[in-house]
Amino acid sequence: MVAILQAVLSGLALGGVYALVALGFNITHSTTKTFNFGQGEFLVAGAFVAVSGLLLLAGKGITDPLNPDDVTLLRYAGSMVISMVVLGLLGVLLYYTAVRPFVGQAGLAWVMSTIGFGIIIQNVALAVWGPSAVVMPSPLGNDVIRVFGAGILPQEIMVLVASIAVMLCIDVVMRKTKIGKAVRAVAQSMDAATLMGINVSAIVVLAFVVSSSLAGLAGLLIAPITTASVYMGLTLALKAFSAAIVGGLNNPRGCMLGGFLLGLLEALVGLWHAELREISIFMLIILVLALKPEGLLGQRQVEKV
Amino acid sequence: MPTAARCRRSMPGEVIVAETPLLQVEGLEVRYGAIEALKGVSLEVRQGEVVTIIGGNGAGKSTLMKTISGLEPAAAGRVLFEGRDITRLPGHLRVPLGIAQSPEGRQVFPDQTIRDNLLLGAYHRNAGAAELEADLKLQFETFPRLQERQRQMAGTISGGEQQMLAIARALMSRPKLLLLDEPSLGLAPLVVRKIFGVIRDLKARGVTILLVEQMANQALAVAERGYVIETGRITLQGRGADLRRDPKVRAAYLGEH
Ligand SMILES: Nc1ncnc2c1ncn2[C@@H]1O[C@H](COP(=O)(O)OP(=O)(O)OP(=O)(O)O)[C@@H](O)[C@H]1O
Ligand SMILES: [Mg+2]
Repeated sequence: MVAILQAVLSGLALGGVYALVALGFNITHSTTKTFNFGQGEFLVAGAFVAVSGLLLLAGKGITDPLNPDDVTLLRYAGSMVISMVVLGLLGVLLYYTAVRPFVGQAGLAWVMSTIGFGIIIQNVALAVWGPSAVVMPSPLGNDVIRVFGAGILPQEIMVLVASIAVMLCIDVVMRKTKIGKAVRAVAQSMDAATLMGINVSAIVVLAFVVSSSLAGLAGLLIAPITTASVYMGLTLALKAFSAAIVGGLNNPRGCMLGGFLLGLLEALVGLWHAELREISIFMLIILVLALKPEGLLGQRQVEKV
Repeated sequence: MPTAARCRRSMPGEVIVAETPLLQVEGLEVRYGAIEALKGVSLEVRQGEVVTIIGGNGAGKSTLMKTISGLEPAAAGRVLFEGRDITRLPGHLRVPLGIAQSPEGRQVFPDQTIRDNLLLGAYHRNAGAAELEADLKLQFETFPRLQERQRQMAGTISGGEQQMLAIARALMSRPKLLLLDEPSLGLAPLVVRKIFGVIRDLKARGVTILLVEQMANQALAVAERGYVIETGRITLQGRGADLRRDPKVRAAYLGEH
């Protein structure tokens, strides 16, 4: 019983990270019908930029070893800002070099170009930080907290709280604010949005900025749990993408739901048979695609006349 | 920047107003790849006029409207608004100048409320809440149905209501020129009558309108002037009443043989 509760909490924390990245897929996909296939590498970049940010804030060099007492809550928050800003800028660069030249073109050029952009990032990260995993201490320490007898890491609670808070913010912005309504208008029809006087190109760049910063945030949040490795991106991005497919790539809430579902499934199945975790995820995808191809909360795409 | 209207005194006591047309289209050519959709279209719309463009399927009417709004680039020719060359101006910057369009197929935002659709029409204005409320009220006076349903998603209302919404949304930008692309498309005869009633009301209020229609009879009845477009070229133009009597127009567009 306690073990299950523990798995649920860890699963939700991991799910929060998937959900953030999945939401990033949704944001660019709904506006441009493209997304960053190198999102995993962006997540890696987010984690390493955060590590370097922490070191900078602690007055050290950006590739020095990181000690637990370098990581205070305030510095962690600072490195979060640094990581999200740097990743946001990378998102702009990605858009102009790897997406915009190919948007609206037949074929899948943007798939290759975003994968390529990710590989470049990965190699730069390799050159700067090296191949070995970096342990990023949690600013909240490693003392296990007992919740109804289940042990949970403080970092896991922070991941859960932070990811939910960010997603709530985005949800409210998209539904209630003028800019959010403009983004949804662009997602519906770029032409109709232009007729409203909305600067569609600016909204699209914004979508890539937000999506990339979310990957950066995800990297920073997960690094203290899994350690930061240059190679961690692919698996995480794949799971986030699975989450988006399960929940519905065209529905932001669906993407979030998918993230948490996958995290939970992985943790619970892992409790039972660790080697079945990945299999269970792909079984879930196949099941959902068979029963509801557009994803759990996805809207069926209406053919536009 | 050229002024919209210049006055000069030619003879004592007589004022001749040489007015720059609100919209001038000169030799406009638009291509989709190898397809030449517009092959040198010229027309003008003066302040306060209702002008209609009639033509069959694929004649290039929507292409013309899109190019005026900046959704399609011109391969050659010019678009002038209040005398200013806007041919290369991005579409979203044309709305603040005073060009609004209710596009073909209405293109309302189905997953947003009627109210939010209307407010998106005023997106560029950065108007305060009170001003926006006043403008909404004005639209609701013209379109009472929209007021009743303002909290409803635009995707859930009827085609006729969506058309009203698309027109009201365009008016929320406080345009100097209202472009209407086939507002009667796919609507029942009774609803079409209503839409033309609205166009008459707008005309009475002095709104300048460029109206694209396949319902040639009604369109020519409400418009001061009309143009006939065929495969990317203007083939006929004249006063609405004259075009309505023109045998060629009658044969081709008014269902007479
Ligand atoms: N996006 C596009 N890509 C390629 N060809 C297009 C595109 N849009 C229109 N065309 C072609 O350009 C020509 C003019 O089309 P347009 O939509 O302007 O005609 P229309 O007069 O509005 O017709 P309708 O009455 O059916 O709305 C047609 O031959 C059409 O097939
Ligand atoms: Mg058309």
